[in-house]
Amino acid sequence: MATTTRGVSAPGTSRGGGRWYTTRTTNLAARLALIAVLLGIWQLLVVGGALNKDAFPTMSSTLAALVDQIHTSACWTTVAQTLEGWGVGVALGCVAAIVLGSAIGLSRFAYRSTIPVIEFLKAVPVVAILPIAIVEFGTRLSMKMVLVAFGVFFPLVIQVIYGVRSVDPTVADTATSLQVRGARRFFVVVIPSAAPFIATGVRIAAATGLVIEIVAELIGGGAGLGQRILAAENAGPSSLPVMYAFILITGLIGVTLTGIFTVAERRTLRWHESQRNIVSRGAS
Amino acid sequence: MTAPVTPQVKVAPSEPATSSRGRRIGPRTTKALISLGSLWLFALLVALWWLGSNNSHSSFFPPLRLTLIRFRQLWLFADVRTDLAPSLFHLAIGYAIASVLGIAVGALMWALPLLRQASSPVVYFLYVLPAPILIPAVLVLFGIGASMSVAIISFACVWPILLNTLDGMRGTDQLKIDTARSLGLSYWRRLWSVVLPGASPQIVAGLRAGLQVGIILMVVSEEVGSTQGIGFFILQAQENFAGTDMWTGILVLGVVGTVLNVLFVAGERFALRWYYGSRAAARER
Repeated sequence: MATTTRGVSAPGTSRGGGRWYTTRTTNLAARLALIAVLLGIWQLLVVGGALNKDAFPTMSSTLAALVDQIHTSACWTTVAQTLEGWGVGVALGCVAAIVLGSAIGLSRFAYRSTIPVIEFLKAVPVVAILPIAIVEFGTRLSMKMVLVAFGVFFPLVIQVIYGVRSVDPTVADTATSLQVRGARRFFVVVIPSAAPFIATGVRIAAATGLVIEIVAELIGGGAGLGQRILAAENAGPSSLPVMYAFILITGLIGVTLTGIFTVAERRTLRWHESQRNIVSRGAS
Repeated sequence: MTAPVTPQVKVAPSEPATSSRGRRIGPRTTKALISLGSLWLFALLVALWWLGSNNSHSSFFPPLRLTLIRFRQLWLFADVRTDLAPSLFHLAIGYAIASVLGIAVGALMWALPLLRQASSPVVYFLYVLPAPILIPAVLVLFGIGASMSVAIISFACVWPILLNTLDGMRGTDQLKIDTARSLGLSYWRRLWSVVLPGASPQIVAGLRAGLQVGIILMVVSEEVGSTQGIGFFILQAQENFAGTDMWTGILVLGVVGTVLNVLFVAGERFALRWYYGSRAAARER
């Protein structure tokens, strides 16, 4: 296995030893304190005049606008519009990438032939084809979906291909000698060994998809948070707090979505790592 | 353990896939022939595009022939100076700022556990916040122009670099640090010759992720608020119904993306040759 597993702490290891509870309380306090300090500095900088009030809203007015917005149905409609384009686009891109990636990864010939094309198309920033999508689909939902699916597809398909090709030779040979073939081999041997690659790829795809969704709304004019923020910017200094409130909302959506996908990935990985640890222990 | 580490777990390697079964790669000429043979699909697709578009009269899907002619007129090399150079200049400055800041602050967070703990929610929030959403805000702060592009590029690039630096440094084998300490190396010496080299593969991974983010933000920032640059060029061509020009811009971005990627991988290969060497040695054992 050529890839490293650095960056993920083994589940269940905590560094604090016996006094982890107090460490955890201190950490929580430190985190809350830092957030409070940063919010305070924000307020002081604007009120004190270090930041221009016409370019940067006060913290208090932003939080007030945030509370206001959360209680309007228009705000939730906007959030839903963004999530809709993101969700459908990511789902389309992921399904296409997993199906095609598996097919390509299983054949050496297909792999050799498609990799140059995929690598080149991956290097074209998806924002470059945005004008084509606008021309073809206008500002409708389909424009956002196509862009998100396109942008998500190429990084993920490479992950899937490498995952499918990464089957441990010993496992592959064992499966061959046990005459595990066809669909059974695919689901019992190939998919489990590719699962961690795919899980990481899907997590990255979810985050990338949100970025592309926002870009499609900012530039393409598709309905959603990006367009809402641009509208607030154009409305002048008085709607600055609303603009920053929506930026905070976007960030919170990012935190939620990334959190969900990270947890899902850890689940698949935990299983995988435990399998591998048993294998390596058995081998040594 | 709730630090905002990015689990860079199973990521496809950037190096072209040498067979993982330890097959020896042949001499250079064979390798070149193989890669030439694997380009047939690429050539086929270009040929299909050429033939399929040849009789097109749609202004947004012009014949490839006309696009290439226009490409030569525009981009070899008149517009490179006016429309591409400023973009790449902004990218270079923003990326450089982000690299220095990301590595320095990442190292600082590694050295100060309390700071790391306290700042993790804030850093995580800023990392997952889709950076393009800040463009309108940066536009209000900086106005239209170079500083706005540079600001948003460096803001977006800094987080993957910072988090990967921190993650890589935290992954240092404690045994190595203890060995260095018992050998009497000072704190700075340990940081410089044990922790930093050990973390460098992951720092480079962060730099690569940052570069990709940077290219996207370079284009997007010009598409939203700029009067020059490649992103502005493409969007303006679309708004003026100049489909052929628009396609040349897309080709330019494809070439720029590929070239920057190839340059990065070459630099990475060079800077981390000891690492790939040791990994190859470990594989052969």
